[in-house]
Amino acid sequence: MKALQIPAVLIALIVLAAVPWFGSDVLVQFGINALLLAVLAQGWNIIGGYTGYASFGNSVFYGLGSYGVGIAMVQWELPFAVGLAFGVVLSVAFAILLGIPVLRLKGHYFAIATLALAQVMTAIVSNVKIAGQNIGLVLPPLNNDLLFYELALGLLVVATLTIYWLSRSRFGFGLIAIRENEEGAAVMGVNTTLYKVLAFALSGVFSALAGGIHAYWVTFIDPESAFDISLNVKMIIMAVFGGPGTVFGPIIGALSLSAISEFLSSEITSIAGLFFGVVVVAAVVLMPRGLADMLRRFRTTGWRYFAENIKATRL
Amino acid sequence: MSAILEIKNVTRRFSGLVAVNDVSFDLQPKEILGIIGPNGAGKTTLISLISGTLPPSSGDILFEGKSIANMPAYQRARLGIGRTFQIMRPFPGLSVLDNVAVGALFGRGGGNAELARARELARAQLDFVGLGKNVDQRADELGGPGRKRLELAKALAMQPKVLLCDEVMAGLNLVEIDEVIDVIRKVRNEGISVLVIEHVIKAIKSLSDRLLVLHHGEKIADGDPETVLANQAVVEAYLGKRRA
Repeated sequence: MKALQIPAVLIALIVLAAVPWFGSDVLVQFGINALLLAVLAQGWNIIGGYTGYASFGNSVFYGLGSYGVGIAMVQWELPFAVGLAFGVVLSVAFAILLGIPVLRLKGHYFAIATLALAQVMTAIVSNVKIAGQNIGLVLPPLNNDLLFYELALGLLVVATLTIYWLSRSRFGFGLIAIRENEEGAAVMGVNTTLYKVLAFALSGVFSALAGGIHAYWVTFIDPESAFDISLNVKMIIMAVFGGPGTVFGPIIGALSLSAISEFLSSEITSIAGLFFGVVVVAAVVLMPRGLADMLRRFRTTGWRYFAENIKATRL
Repeated sequence: MSAILEIKNVTRRFSGLVAVNDVSFDLQPKEILGIIGPNGAGKTTLISLISGTLPPSSGDILFEGKSIANMPAYQRARLGIGRTFQIMRPFPGLSVLDNVAVGALFGRGGGNAELARARELARAQLDFVGLGKNVDQRADELGGPGRKRLELAKALAMQPKVLLCDEVMAGLNLVEIDEVIDVIRKVRNEGISVLVIEHVIKAIKSLSDRLLVLHHGEKIADGDPETVLANQAVVEAYLGKRRA
């Protein structure tokens, strides 16, 4: 990291941490959502951005994290922290059991296979008695947005530090090598199967923790909302918009897109969805490598940056 | 001296096609073994079988006396088998330096866990193959000859005991070929056994200690380069019967 970046990140962090003390309730609630989305985007960044496997299965981890907390707190009357740990255990088990067969697939096939996982999980959980079947679970309410906000922020910090470590560790280089050329990575000594499963599981840990916090915060979960595939689409859009395979890109993507989406849906309610779509399409065409890459290269290339990307997409 | 690599009756079929048919040979320590053969003779398949990206249909491959035929590619890499790819496959989004650093981070014995040290080793390896000036470039910005050298540096950064070179000279001009020959000789002088697959007969003749000829997946000659290239079957395989 360059010399100026560390103070800048610290200041941003202090400002973010102070939001509940000067911001309105609405802002704090927006903040909890946006921060949890940023955690999800960072979680996806590990398997999708660094390892190059476009997972649509991360909403399964999110759902398992939600149900971990739900089942532990409602059915077994255990504390929240135990619920979070239970959700993480479920996610890691899922990542290992299903990751081993599914991670043999590449590209579109991997995406489709993981897409199916979320659907299957909805159907399964709807029939599990301890999970409240298709009625869902109502968690004991805790009216403390400050706590949820700081928890979400803390989780985002841990996720980001993990990714920072990835970007400069042997493990992270192995993942990047897999993304860039899997066969090439294997003949250079990277245990590709192990690394992919570990990345999938690590990605699952953060998604599950975000799901657990969200479940306790909204105090209600059902199979439809816990394993919602559109949430997975959101985390991909946010990570890719910000810059997949970078340390801060997915955070920037998640926070900025959350803000845009919030603004649009309050100002121009009826066609907000359309505008959001336009923002995403424009971003994909004009800066396919994400905001992070755009900010880095714009200084040297100027407006030509966008022209080159349009040319590269052969519109 | 016992062979470092032994190929024993190895066959590889792709459904109906027999790409490598009952091939046996060995590679001695510090030897440069050249393998030539017309297009489709099974040369690259053979390298893939040794490096582990393809499993053999039958036969056995021994490395330092132990069978590696059923070992995944990454374990073979950690034992000390490094390879280059004919169709050059750098990690395109990474810098030239980091491409090679991956080899140092993993590679033989599990490599070097520390990134700073791995980059140091990578830099030395890039100097060795003559890419010292290009360390900060992105790998996909390198031209063809540069990528050939990068392939070599990546494999060498793994500190292999055996280096498998898949057409590292194809597409290079005469000066560049001489430079690569020079690098491969230096590699051997460091004690590494080298298996070179090549199309450029002139280059391989001067480089190899021993030459092996594949044709339609079968070994048709094996011996010192002069004798092999004068062999009637080899001339026929390359030029056809009538002209020979």
